[in-house]
Amino acid sequence: MLHQALILSSNREYAQTMRQGLLKLGHEHTRVDVEVDALRAMQLAPQQYELILLDTVLDTTNGLQLLQLLKNQSPASKFVIVSDASDETSRAIAYQSGADFFLERPLTPEAIALAIEAIKGFFKPIRPGEPPQNEDENPLVNLADIVQMRCLSGDSVLLLVRSKQQSGDIFIFRGEVFHAQYPGKGGEEAFRDMIGWDEGRVRIRSIKLTHVPPRTIEVPYRQLLDRIEKSAAPGPDITQTGGELFIVSAEPASDTAHLSVVHEAPPLDKAKAAPAVFPSPNVSPQGETPLPQVNSHWKINLTGELLEGSQVADPERCAFITSFIYRKMADVAVALEVDYFNHMTLLGPHLQQVLVADNMGVRHAVFDAAWTNEEQRIQYVKWCCEQSF
Amino acid sequence: MIAAAFVSDEGKLLGWCANSVILPENLCFIAETCRVILSANRAEQRAAHTGVVAFGERTLVFRESASGLFLAYLDSPTNDAVLEWLFSQVNPRLVAGGVNLDEI
Repeated sequence: MLHQALILSSNREYAQTMRQGLLKLGHEHTRVDVEVDALRAMQLAPQQYELILLDTVLDTTNGLQLLQLLKNQSPASKFVIVSDASDETSRAIAYQSGADFFLERPLTPEAIALAIEAIKGFFKPIRPGEPPQNEDENPLVNLADIVQMRCLSGDSVLLLVRSKQQSGDIFIFRGEVFHAQYPGKGGEEAFRDMIGWDEGRVRIRSIKLTHVPPRTIEVPYRQLLDRIEKSAAPGPDITQTGGELFIVSAEPASDTAHLSVVHEAPPLDKAKAAPAVFPSPNVSPQGETPLPQVNSHWKINLTGELLEGSQVADPERCAFITSFIYRKMADVAVALEVDYFNHMTLLGPHLQQVLVADNMGVRHAVFDAAWTNEEQRIQYVKWCCEQSF
Repeated sequence: MIAAAFVSDEGKLLGWCANSVILPENLCFIAETCRVILSANRAEQRAAHTGVVAFGERTLVFRESASGLFLAYLDSPTNDAVLEWLFSQVNPRLVAGGVNLDEI
C-alpha cells in the first residue's frame, strides 16, 4: 500500500490526474505531493517518499540528472521516469540512470488507469522473484525510547515513524529533536501526538541526516519527553472541526465565491480599492527602480547560503531565518497545491519584512514600521524583480 | 475567498470554511506553519503579527493574536486597503465568537 509519493512534473494537468490515481493506491492518510519546480524539488527530503514520479524534462532541468541525484539520497525509493517519448533509446537511458520503471506519459483515462495498475505492482505484498515483504521487517518499538537513545548518542537521523493509521517524520540533529511532522501537523505538537500513536508502539526506519533540518522544536529532548510523560500524550486533535465561527459548505463547491466569509463588495473607498500593484516576477519590468530605504536586506540561494547583503548584523542568523521561512512556505505551498510564493510580507509593531522569491533564491528586507508604507514595500518587490533579470 | 480558519493557541481548529479541495487538516497544518514562522521571527527580535503571502494570483493572509491564529486564503491579490477591509469584516465575527485579533 502506498503511503507517500511525489510527482515532479511541469505538466500540472497530468500531475493532478496522476495524483488522483496514486491516491487510490493508498489509504486515507496517503500523501501524494506535486512539485513543478526542479530546484525546489531538490529542497525536499526524498527519503520520505516511497515513490517518486519524475519527468525526463522539468522546465530547463534534465530530469535524468535529477533522478541520479535523488537516487543517491534515497536509494530505497522507487523512481518512475515519465517521458513524452517512448523510443528504446529513451527507455535505455532512463534505466541506466537508475529508474525502476519507465512510463510513456499517459494522456487518456485508459492510459492513466494502465499506468496506475503498473505502478501498483511496486506496492503488492509479493513481487515476482522476491520473497514476500514482511510487515514485521521493522519491528514494533517504543518511540520514546528510540528518540531518547538517538539523542543520547548525539545522532543526526530522520526517523520515519509508522503507526497502524498514520506516518510521520522526526528529525533529530546532533542529539536534539529539531522537527517533527505528519500530514496536518508539525512541530512540538506533532511530536507529542506521534509519541502517543498506538500507545507508543510503532515501526521506525531511520535514515542518516546529511543536512541541518529546519528547527521548530527548541525544547531540549529531555524536557520534551518529560512533558509528554506528564501530560500522558493526548492524541491528534485535527478531527475537532466542530467550530462555530464559520459555516462549512455542505456540498463541494467549485465556485469559491459561495464560500466567502463576507458577503459585501470590496472596499467602499474606491481610491483605496485599487487592485494590488505588486509586480509579477514573471513580467519584465520597465525601467530601473531604486532600492527603497531599508534597515537591512540580503539574499540567499536555495541552499540557504548568504549571497549578498547590506547592513546585515548577523549574516549567519539572517540567512538561517530566510531559509527557514522559505522551507516552511514550501510546505504551505504543497498543502495548498500551488506554486511557490512570489513574495511575502510580515507586519509587526516595530518592523516590517518583505521576502521575494524566485527560482534562484530569496531576497529579504527589513523595514522600520514607523516610516514604511505599502508603496515602499511594493518598490522593494519591484526592485527585486529587476535584480533577478 | 477560498478558505478561512481560526486555530487556537493550542492548535485546535475552532472554526473553518473551505471549498472541497482544502481539507481542514491542511488548514490546521498551514496555521501551525504560519505560527512557527512568526515564532521564529520573534526569536530574531523581529516580531510580526500579520503575514501576507502571494502565491501567484492567490494570497494567504494570517494574523496571530493571544487566543490563536486566523488565516484566510484568497483567490485574488491584495493590498493594504483590502486587508483593512477584510479584517473590518472578519473582526466583528471573531469578537462575537469571543476572539479579539487585536489582543496580541
